[in-house]
Amino acid sequence: MGALLEVQHLKKFYPTARGVLHAVDDVSFSLEGGKTLGVVGESGCGKSTLGKTILRLEDPTSGSIQFEGKEIGGLSTGEFKHYRKEMQMIFQDPFASLNPRMSVRQIIAETFDIYPELCPKEEIGKRVDELMDTVGLAKRFANSYPHELDGGRRQRIGIARALSMRPKFIVCDEPVSALDVSIQAQILNLLQDLQEQMGIAYIFITHDLSVVKHISDEICVMYLGQVVEQCATKELFNNTLHPYTQALLSAIPVPSLHNRRKKILLKGELSSPIDPKPGCRFAARCIYATEECHKSTPKLREACPGHFAACHHIGNMGET
Amino acid sequence: MSKTVLEVKDLVVHYETDEAVVEAVNNISFSLEAGDTLGLVGETGAGKTTVALSIMGLLPYPPSHIVQGSILLDGQDITKLKERELRKIRGNKVSMIFQDPMTALNPVRTVGEQIAEVIRLHQKVSRKEAYQKAEEMLEMVGIPKERSKEYPHQFSGGMKQRVVIAIALACNPELLIADEPTTALDVTIQAQVLELMRDLQKNNQTALLLITHDFGVVADICKKCAVIYAGEIVEYGTVEDIFDHPAHPYTLGLFHSLPSLDEDVERLTPIDGMMSDPTDLPTGCSFCDRCDRATSLCSQSDPALVELSRGHYVKCHHCVKEEN
Repeated sequence: MGALLEVQHLKKFYPTARGVLHAVDDVSFSLEGGKTLGVVGESGCGKSTLGKTILRLEDPTSGSIQFEGKEIGGLSTGEFKHYRKEMQMIFQDPFASLNPRMSVRQIIAETFDIYPELCPKEEIGKRVDELMDTVGLAKRFANSYPHELDGGRRQRIGIARALSMRPKFIVCDEPVSALDVSIQAQILNLLQDLQEQMGIAYIFITHDLSVVKHISDEICVMYLGQVVEQCATKELFNNTLHPYTQALLSAIPVPSLHNRRKKILLKGELSSPIDPKPGCRFAARCIYATEECHKSTPKLREACPGHFAACHHIGNMGET
Repeated sequence: MSKTVLEVKDLVVHYETDEAVVEAVNNISFSLEAGDTLGLVGETGAGKTTVALSIMGLLPYPPSHIVQGSILLDGQDITKLKERELRKIRGNKVSMIFQDPMTALNPVRTVGEQIAEVIRLHQKVSRKEAYQKAEEMLEMVGIPKERSKEYPHQFSGGMKQRVVIAIALACNPELLIADEPTTALDVTIQAQVLELMRDLQKNNQTALLLITHDFGVVADICKKCAVIYAGEIVEYGTVEDIFDHPAHPYTLGLFHSLPSLDEDVERLTPIDGMMSDPTDLPTGCSFCDRCDRATSLCSQSDPALVELSRGHYVKCHHCVKEEN
């Protein structure tokens, strides 16, 4: 079986006054139906741009995006409309992504104005009720406006809206980072249930490694527009190869007093993604960096079966 | 025995609006000694920030209103002070680090001037001396002093938070309140800032009140921890008490809601429902609607905060006893 989504050498550059900003720089992966790919990285690493480019909310600079074997990277907006109902997005901020002047019912039903073929007019009311039920929103909220609801409920509206088209694939862009932990757990469980019931594939974008570990089958770690490590979730946590992933893992404050990790404190901060110099983009902050790292860009290579990492020093760290 | 820096007694804060009275803080008491670190943990709307603002005397009036209770800072009740007297204390004896470093700094003044401003307000020094001290403060938080003439927009988020910390510590306060100091920062930067705060706190013996929603951050730098729900402290103890022997169902629920890095959990167990509306709190225990241990007793009578073991307080009729 072919992959549902196949992304090859995807690039998205933005021209700015100071030079070319490399937001997404040569990212490739494939995603099977019903699976979850986690994309992790810090702010500015290009993870949201990646999600938006795949959904054609941004036009790719180069590279290919294939959905069910069809190239969608170059389609016009009109041609893409057909695919958009298969590919949806859940946005980070449930306060900004809902129209404040529409009621919950109107927000969810708007889909059927745009795609009338999805639901006959007389059944729209029933379908909206059904969707609200699926995401756990009580019917009494149907005529409420977003500002009357709290963050968790608003995020459920966003999910219901995305589901209304019965998509095969959803990009979840930090869907829980604006929520409190007890609500976050409710939404994560909901997303998992929906995946099981409807076989939806997710790209789950987040900065929170513990969330991504919980929900993903496979994980991509991004740094300044590039994938630095990519493999199955278990493998990533048991056999962390890239020094950036190691530092990222060690930096998470663990809510426990036992088996505390030794912190690897990184020096400095992200360098600029504008006209990046050749060489490894992480080199300036890396404790293992050598001259080679500043000169040549490490390629993403298969270090162990199914485990890809982009670093010159895999295998000989620890001796440095 | 170190001296008590802060003592909050039976604090009740309401926000009074035309439509309703929001019961933001309901009878909170705690104290902090010099060198102590207390983490105040809770979710959005639990009243964490209101507690912090009351201690700073920064509550907006109206609509807020301290209904009862006292806040003793060094033995002086700040709820009774006039604005002019409060101004002498703020930034001097007690200072605060705000959540969002992007909005906490003045965009049209250099960071050096902003640090020097606090020093000149509270200490009798010349402009030049104050600026020199400001440069020292910058170095202390890990920013080269050459950057003192730059403006906030020239700094990244983590650097800005360092500047805010430098301002807060410039007058060597006895009490530092940090309100979600690292929430707006990336994890690798958060680790740097937490490390910095831990070192500075240790060296200066400042009492630290850390407000956060993240148990991870508490485990990193606090010795004591208070869990706050609907304006009440529901559990209080050392971090060992809270992390290893959590006794309140809400504390336990929070821990179970967190995806773990060390264990594989198929499914999270969230706490049902939402926090009760602070304008309409239930008569009994405010957590009883969401609690899986709730009985009819819970909805009728509000439990008292009882000492479970030495220094470990829980406010629950059915607190979780040690199961192993």
